[in-house]
Amino acid sequence: MKLKKDNADPEIPTSSMADIAFLLIIYFMVTTTFAATRGLDFSLPQEDNEQPMVEKEESVLIEIQPAGILMVDQKRMDIDDILEYLKPKLERNPMKPVIIRPLETTEYGHMVAVFDEIRQAKDKIGIEVKNVSIPTQREIEMFWY
Amino acid sequence: MKIRPRSVQNQGIPTASMADIAFLLIIFFMVTISFEVDKTQVALPKTDLRFEIPKKAAYISVTETGQIRVSSGEEISVPVPGPEEVLSFAAQVVAADPSKPFVLKADRDVPYRYVDRVIDALKQAKAEVIYLLSEQETVDDAA
Repeated sequence: MKLKKDNADPEIPTSSMADIAFLLIIYFMVTTTFAATRGLDFSLPQEDNEQPMVEKEESVLIEIQPAGILMVDQKRMDIDDILEYLKPKLERNPMKPVIIRPLETTEYGHMVAVFDEIRQAKDKIGIEVKNVSIPTQREIEMFWY
Repeated sequence: MKIRPRSVQNQGIPTASMADIAFLLIIFFMVTISFEVDKTQVALPKTDLRFEIPKKAAYISVTETGQIRVSSGEEISVPVPGPEEVLSFAAQVVAADPSKPFVLKADRDVPYRYVDRVIDALKQAKAEVIYLLSEQETVDDAA
């Protein structure tokens, strides 16, 4: 009996490799969600027992009312004017405490906007606001008088 | 004069390196993909300053209606009934790693009282740093 010689190509067929690869790319592109991985850092005080009592008169109090209405030391102010208001005070005392106090019904975004503005003090007015605090309602009830 | 025979060139587009390019792209996507531990849909506040959040940070999300979800950064976030549970969650996380950063992913329109209670819980749990997750503010937003 005559045996038939096998003339099959010994190479691995790679012609569909690109198709498979591009399908995988499309899968990754569709399923990838660009996660927001950036934000404003906010260091919390650690020495809870030695919390210094800040007299209200010494500090700058920024009260944030709903819809973003700002009362800085009881005076109505725009967000863009806060740093100019703080500048002479910080020049006299770089450790001047700045207290951000949003009201309960204020939208969170307005608090972040004010905090962002104050954190940019070094770039905008050349002085860093070193002593910023955002006391919580519990702390206000415990420590303020 | 002897005319040289017309050269027979292959008219096809060379696709041999297509698979290599495609696999390079796949590797890029696989390396850069980051699995979100919290997929809560919130409208983030917008800020000019934004700093990179460390990997494996613990997440606390607060929706516009005040619903809270927490994740230690290792697993998918789970809902919690209220801020009291945030305190016990944060205390566990801080006990395991005292320098663990927390990410607060709160909706920009949520009333501040919800966020206040979460921040208070983190302060009581002796968390060191909170990142307020935000989006980049653009020129159009500021105008």
